[in-house]
Amino acid sequence: MTTASAILPARGLADHLTAVFWRHPRVLLALLLTPPLLWLGVVYLGSLAALLLQSFYSIDEFSGVVKEEFTLKTYGELLRPSNFDILVRTVTMAALVTLACAILAFPIAYYAARYAKGHWKAAFYLGVMLPLWSSYLVKVYAWKLILAKEGILGWAAERTHTSWIIDGLLSIPGLEGSSLSTSPIGTFAVFVYIWLPYMILPMQAALERVPNSMLEASADLGATRAQTLRTVILPLALPGVIAGSIFTFSLTLGDYIIPQIIGNSANFIGMAVYQLQGTAGNIPLAAAFAVVPIAIMLIYLAIARRMGAFDAL
Amino acid sequence: MTAAVEFQNVSRHFGTVRAVDGVDLTIAEGSFFAMLGPSGSGKTTCLRLISGFEKPTGGTIRIFGEDVSSTPPHLRNVNTVFQDYALFPHLNVRDNVAYGLMVKGMGRAARYAKAEEMLALVHLDAYGDRKPAQLSGGQRQRVALARALVNEPRVLLLDEPLGALDLKLREAMQDELKALQKRLGLTFVFVTHDQHEALSMADSLAVFNEGRIAQIGTPQDIYDRPATRFVADFVGSSNVLPPDLTRAMGGPPEWASLRPEATRLAPTGPVRGTVTALRYLGSGTRVVISMGETDVAALVPAGQPVPDEGETTAIAFDQAALHLMGPA
Amino acid sequence: MLSDRSPFSLRAAAVGGLLFLHLPILLIFLYAFTTEERSFQFPPPGLTTQWFGVAWNDRPDIWPPLWLSLKVATIATAIALVLGTLVAAAMTRTAFFGREQISLLILLPIALPGVITGMALRSAFGVMDIPFSVWTIVLGHATFCIVIVYNNAVARLRRLSGGIMEASADLGANAFQTFRHVLLPNMGSALLAGGMLAFALSFDEVIVTIFTAGSGAEAKTLPIWMLDELIRPRQRPVTNVVAIVVFAATFLPILAAYYLTRGGSETAGMGK
Repeated sequence: MTTASAILPARGLADHLTAVFWRHPRVLLALLLTPPLLWLGVVYLGSLAALLLQSFYSIDEFSGVVKEEFTLKTYGELLRPSNFDILVRTVTMAALVTLACAILAFPIAYYAARYAKGHWKAAFYLGVMLPLWSSYLVKVYAWKLILAKEGILGWAAERTHTSWIIDGLLSIPGLEGSSLSTSPIGTFAVFVYIWLPYMILPMQAALERVPNSMLEASADLGATRAQTLRTVILPLALPGVIAGSIFTFSLTLGDYIIPQIIGNSANFIGMAVYQLQGTAGNIPLAAAFAVVPIAIMLIYLAIARRMGAFDAL
Repeated sequence: MTAAVEFQNVSRHFGTVRAVDGVDLTIAEGSFFAMLGPSGSGKTTCLRLISGFEKPTGGTIRIFGEDVSSTPPHLRNVNTVFQDYALFPHLNVRDNVAYGLMVKGMGRAARYAKAEEMLALVHLDAYGDRKPAQLSGGQRQRVALARALVNEPRVLLLDEPLGALDLKLREAMQDELKALQKRLGLTFVFVTHDQHEALSMADSLAVFNEGRIAQIGTPQDIYDRPATRFVADFVGSSNVLPPDLTRAMGGPPEWASLRPEATRLAPTGPVRGTVTALRYLGSGTRVVISMGETDVAALVPAGQPVPDEGETTAIAFDQAALHLMGPA
Repeated sequence: MLSDRSPFSLRAAAVGGLLFLHLPILLIFLYAFTTEERSFQFPPPGLTTQWFGVAWNDRPDIWPPLWLSLKVATIATAIALVLGTLVAAAMTRTAFFGREQISLLILLPIALPGVITGMALRSAFGVMDIPFSVWTIVLGHATFCIVIVYNNAVARLRRLSGGIMEASADLGANAFQTFRHVLLPNMGSALLAGGMLAFALSFDEVIVTIFTAGSGAEAKTLPIWMLDELIRPRQRPVTNVVAIVVFAATFLPILAAYYLTRGGSETAGMGK
């Protein structure tokens, strides 16, 4: 039989500190959270505040010097037709890209969620994960190769005598270009390609939560495959679509590399921000442009939250 | 002799939920003490208050006379066998068992020797190099036991340690645990929701209900003389008689309990009823008789005549077997 | 009744979709071997391995960006590992005031488009007169890498039985011993995976970097070098050779991270 005390002696600083953590759990919490919160709070939130601040400054049109006085003049400039066009073009592109991603993602997500088993399931998962994570710039570059006039797509069209389709597309007003890589069609295709995995993963997660018994119940009640799809599967997949669309929409709104490399160099929000802060040196207007996607995404997130999209993340 | 563990008016409230509410209890040194109750009754919280993973919102806890209100878990000389065993998945069995000695600074050779000794005690001598994932449920349970005992704690806490085992293994482990406790002379505090386990293993037990102790005593006390209707219901297969039935059977108009084995069938009696169910138990037959709103069970020993279902019968018993209790 | 076999059209669409995601990348490899250096002619008029030699020997402009990218990614990953693990450890504890807000704050740098993070940092550097340097690049990268490490760490912590931390304390270990002997060994592979993903993300980042790197030649990371080559191409196949290197530098860590955390959900969902 042991005769040791019921309380062991503390053996040094580590034991004493542990006792302090136990008696005051908030001390440990504060120690853990202070460094990351300082970083994110100062570096990130501080920067966002600086961005907001800059957007309320203006630039002196003659000297090109930033006037550090509060004004709404810079935001007013966003409404000038040439600037407003940029906003409309970007939002339209983001909406179209999101729609296309949702349509293309559905069969992949549905197949992976409902039919793929075992090794196939892992292969599908990896097959979506790898393109999502692998180098963004390399992927954009790959499409430069594909869409070039002398590239693989043009070659294939020539061989199959379908060049007239590409030529037809390129002659549609607003979509003109000497090749797909200098047409808005190219910009659109690359956006869809790059952001597609971001739509597939949340959609698959949502579809995986649809129990098979529910599909069987629908079939039992006499629904055809198409009816089951329309009345059961699509509504249940919707939260996943919305979660995915947050990514596709937001990423398209802010991108400035893709339209710079592929397309007819029509301006998008991201490009405007990039050019204004760089060569033009108009940081206030660049900041005001950057605030637009934030505002749009905040509205979008508020709507998505109401539709229950965050449960699917 | 000082008590191993003493609770004085101890409470643990989570917001408005009173997980433990004004509990007083004393656990004698060297005893096998069981905490019995349904899930959510506060028994596991009481165990965690002893180990230090919960802090009381009121009252005082003493371990061997020392107030532990400012002692963190790692400085309390008590050890726990966790419900899910909580073995370290990255360490082999030997290192799992030697962990407590390692963090206290004991050298490798010495702690491995003690770990092997302890593994022999739980019949796992040959398993030192395995990882926990390579063991069966019963073996993991023994490793968890050895890992706790190697530290020579003053009190061993066991949180439903047999809950995950199948029935046969469970019964074997019950005997083994009890024997181990006797041999080591340690204080065991054992949490369970299984009344048979508690009654058969404990020297004394506390029955928990809604954060409070409904009754505390020896298994015999609790089985024969349940203090409340809840205890009678939860602990035994006792008949619980409402006041009017107690009076009809010759007692005062109060709630009472009556054990089936204290009754016998009789052709006439104060209350008669219809036989609604028969269950053959080997050592006898349990006969359920419907008496108004209440079903009363009687035990007919093997060899005696058993009535058919639907027959009318009465029961007889020694008035001393009728145990009166509080209403709660 | 539902059959467990998929309709052929669905299977074809799903497999087609996956091919659509992967085939373009293969072209990068093909074009690294073409003899045509002034256009993207398909099929290549001839095949050669000379560009690998050219990239290695005759293009000194590749090396400084490569070293800079490696340096930035290493430092940013190290910072993200420390900060991400700290938040994860705090967040797995019981509820506390402000928990929701903190998880939103961590997510924000990747939830908002990169151009905003970039422009915001650029504005802050402007307001505070901070000159561009390696450290301004690191500042941006570490900020959006924190969430990658955090996601991995939090998923692992959630999967770990909380009981083993209590068991460690119960057996007499203080908080630091528990961290060293229980938490770290069990978190190791998840942190390694998170670190690899963060490294891949940082090594490849261009959108934020352009805003935080300034315009000097000494601030050119490998992705910025590539972007320059895309806009003003010379020796296109050399760009392909570098693209293969960049692709491998992101692809291999991702694959490793996947195998390190298989069975969990660490790498899923929340992308860059």
